[in-house]
Order: sequence, then C-alpha cells, then structure tokens
Amino acid sequence: MELTTFVQTMANSVVSGSIYATVSVGLALAFGVMKMANHAHGEFFMLGAYVVYVFYALAGMPFFLAVLAAIPTIAALGLLTERLIFRPTRGNVLAGFMATAGLTWILQVLAGRIWGLGFMKMIPTPYMGAANIAGAQIGLQRVLIVPAAVILLGFLWFFLHRVRLGKGLRACAQDPDAAALQGISINKMTSLAMGIAGAYAGVAGALMAPIHAVTPYMGRDLLITAFIVVIVGGMASIEGAVLAAFILGFIHTFVTTIFDATSAIMVGVAFMAFILIVKPTGLMGRAKA
Amino acid sequence: MLLNVKDITVHYNKVDAIRNISIEVEEGEIVTLIGSNGAGKTTTLRTISGLNHPTTGEIWFEDQRIDQLPPEKINKAGIAQVPENRRVFPYMTVAENLEMGAFLRKDEEKMNRDLEGVFKHFPILKSRQKQMAGTMSGGEQQMLAMGRALMSNPKLLLLDEPSLGLSPIMCLEIAKIIRDIHSEGRTIVLVEQNARLALALAQKGYVLETGNIVLKGEAKELRDNEEVKKAYLGG
Ligand SMILES: Nc1ncnc2c1ncn2[C@@H]1O[C@H](COP(=O)(O)OP(=O)(O)OP(=O)(O)O)[C@@H](O)[C@H]1O
Ligand SMILES: [Mg+2]
Repeated sequence: MELTTFVQTMANSVVSGSIYATVSVGLALAFGVMKMANHAHGEFFMLGAYVVYVFYALAGMPFFLAVLAAIPTIAALGLLTERLIFRPTRGNVLAGFMATAGLTWILQVLAGRIWGLGFMKMIPTPYMGAANIAGAQIGLQRVLIVPAAVILLGFLWFFLHRVRLGKGLRACAQDPDAAALQGISINKMTSLAMGIAGAYAGVAGALMAPIHAVTPYMGRDLLITAFIVVIVGGMASIEGAVLAAFILGFIHTFVTTIFDATSAIMVGVAFMAFILIVKPTGLMGRAKA
Repeated sequence: MLLNVKDITVHYNKVDAIRNISIEVEEGEIVTLIGSNGAGKTTTLRTISGLNHPTTGEIWFEDQRIDQLPPEKINKAGIAQVPENRRVFPYMTVAENLEMGAFLRKDEEKMNRDLEGVFKHFPILKSRQKQMAGTMSGGEQQMLAMGRALMSNPKLLLLDEPSLGLSPIMCLEIAKIIRDIHSEGRTIVLVEQNARLALALAQKGYVLETGNIVLKGEAKELRDNEEVKKAYLGG
C-alpha cells in the first residue's frame, strides 16, 4: 500500500469509527437501561439523514441548522418508541424484539412512500474543498465528522459522569430496583435513554447525509455494525462501545480498501467472535453480579 | 401513627407471598420483623417501598395512602430502604452512590449537612469517596447502603437484614450505628433473621411465618416468649 493510500485509509477509518461510535453509544445506553435492543435504531439514523435532505437540500436551510434539527426530531421519535413500544413490553424481550423489528419495517416503508424508492437523494456537499494530509486528499465534509463526534461523545460522557440526572441513568442500568428506591423514576430514565439514543443516531445520519447514499434502507448495514460494536464493547458499556467502534472502523475501512465491502463485514463478524471467545463479556463488559 | 400497613396481601404471579399482614409503626420507634427464610419479610418491605403492590389491603404513611404509588413517590414522601444484600451501585464511586441517595433533593445546603452526618456515622465512607462501591467489603457496602438511604433524610428507614453475611464484630458495629441513627429521632423498621440482635434493638416486634404474622408484641415480651426462644433464639 502506498503512503498516500495508507494515510487516506487511516483518515477514513477514523471517520468511520466516529460515526460508528456516535450511532452505537445510544444503542448501548438504551440497552443498559432497558435490557432490550432497539432494532429500529438504524432507521433513526436513516431518518436523521432525511431531516437534512428535507431542511437543507429541499428547503435550503443552512446545513448546520439542518443537522441540529435532526437532534430534537429523532429524539422525539426515540421518546415515542419508548412510550409506545418499550414501556408496554418492558421485561418481555421477545415482544420488544418483534415490535421494534416491525417498527423498522414501518419506518422504511414510510420513508419510501414519502420520499420515493429506487434512487438516491442528491445532497450537495455544503463544505467543498479537501484537507491535504501527507499528500492524501480528504474531503472537508468527512473531516468535519470527527470533531463533531468528539464533541457529542464528550458531551455524553460529561452528562453521564458529572450531572446527577446522567448518573441516575448509570444507576438505573446497574440496578433498577435499587435506583427506584433512591427516588429515580424508571420510566423517566428509559425515556431519557431513548431520547438520547434517538438524538445521537439522528445526528449521525444527518452528518452522513452528504457523503452517503440516502435511501430508506441505509440504516440496515449500519445497525448490524452497531450491534457488533455494542456486543464487542460489552453490551451496556458506553466506553467499550466507543473503543469497539474505532477498532471496527479500522477493520472495515482497511479490509474494504484492500479487498471489498463484503469481506469487511465478514472480518468484522469474525473479530466479534474472536473477542467473545477470549473475553465473553466483551472488551469492557461487566460480569453479571 | 407514622406507618400503618393494613391487612395487605401480596402475590407473585398467582402465588401469595404474604397474607393479611398488618403492621403499625409509631414515630420514633424501632419495629422489627423477624422470621426465617421465605417468611415474607423482604416482600413486606418491598411493598412498603412501592416495588410491589398489594392485591388487597392498604398502606398509609402519615396522612397519605401509598400502596399504589410508584417507588419514587414513596421515596419523596419520606421512606428510604436499605435493600437486602445492600445493592450498592457497583460501578459508581462511594460519593456517587451517596449522591444517588439524594437524587430528588434540591436543597443543596441541607444535603451537605446530611452528608456530614453520614460521614459522622460512617467515617470510612469519607476516606473512601473515590473508591468503586463494588470493590468494597460486605461490611463497608452495608455502611454505604445505609449512608445512601440516609441521604434522602427519610422520616422512616427500612432496613432489610443489615447483619446478613457480616462478621460478629461487624454486626455489633452495625447494631451500634442503628442505635445512633435511632437516637437522632429516626423511625426504623428492621427486618432480621438474627432475632437476638433485632429484639435487642427494637421496642416492638412482629414474627412472620410463611407469609403470616403469628406473633406480635413488645420486644422484651418476645424475648421471653418460649416459642420465640425455641425457634429464633436458639433455645
Ligand atoms: N420475585 C419473586 N417471584 C416469585 N416468588 C417470590 C419472589 N420473591 C419472593 N418470592 C416468594 O415469596 C415468599 C417470601 O419471600 P421473601 O423474599 O419475602 O422472604 P424473606 O422473609 O425475605 O426471606 P429471606 O430471609 O430468605 O430473605 C417466598 O416463598 C419466596 O419464594
Ligand atoms: Mg429477605
């Protein structure tokens, strides 16, 4: 591999890792608090991209504002999903699985009905130009994703470790009954977790809109990746998910560059299997008490 | 009366765990519930705290009926529980665990005073504030769980087997702290399998067997009761 290709691939790995991390932390957080997996998480990402399509490409709002608009919009969708699906099926993993799998399908069909199938949405790149790193050209639109992810992940870390409400989320994930005895409302915490999950998946989709094919099915592959990230990271661990996201970002990008995208997914799954064999609880997973 | 549990029955699925239980707690008392494994002690405390709800009967706290309220409302009303097996948040620090005990509070100034109060009862917590709770010993976790419960400044403190799994010396230490907390005017419901310890601390006691209250009375009466002696005090 030539140096420029190598640098280019490194940079793309960091960008992929940033997106994987931003999408996966919400999935891990919601899983930690609810012990249920949201299969529609990939569609939250997809709809985040459509928010940018509508507000930026169609309505002509500034790109930055369109990305911001995805945050409350998809957070609201997360809240609704909690209220209408997860709360009524709490404790019933199978029902939660079926219901969110159904929601996945509904959101895909709805997006197809509203915005059309079969062709991808053209979203003009708001930030032209490229950064030159050791001879490699990396589009600014991609570079931008990295500081955005750092800010988003830093903000989440601060919230979970420095703000009482955020600490309540961690408490709830560690022991819901004990948390309830401290006056922490489980309903409020599951809402909060799903709101954050929606916001983060939505903003990730929004940031990706100009550099990714925007279609109703764009969340599917990403969801598989996000599940692998969360499993490798240790199911409910936010820090583990971030670490696993960057490792997987490197694996996917390098294998895709050298071989192809299908091999990349296969190597990613093999990596997950390997981690689970050497450390069944995942990179930062905690043994069940 | 501070707490009035009136004739409650609690079911898990279809099986009843406790039947027609009534408990009265006056302000300033230590009331104990003793009984062997599976008698329904934990179920009773969980129901008072709102983690379970009775199928029949009522629970009154001060002038409020609480038996259908969610746990957070009951905590806000002034009841805190130290659950069986401590149940500290293992991946949070000691300081964070204590902060969670005060989750609903807004009065930062009074909170800091209560924190100092907790450190007075449990000096070890003050020197271990940065330690992960899950890495503490059983006795230390018991102290943390009690400190956490006190951080909501409850009118009523429910303790579920605080002596469980502790060394005899640690049991005595916990007993002394329970007495100190009580002498500050706190009302306590103490659940114990260690009847000797419980009856030494309490003014009043109830004996539970397979979901029913079979005996109740002054603690000193119960200590002298032949059946209690035989079944719970080792002769
Ligand atoms: N979650 C549950 N599901 C079904 N049955 C339960 C549950 N929790 C408790 N029980 C049953 O209810 C009864 C009372 O249990 P409980 O835990 O209240 O007893 P306990 O007096 O606290 O016992 P121990 O001293 O062992 O802690 C037991 O028969 C127990 O098997
Ligand atoms: Mg018990």
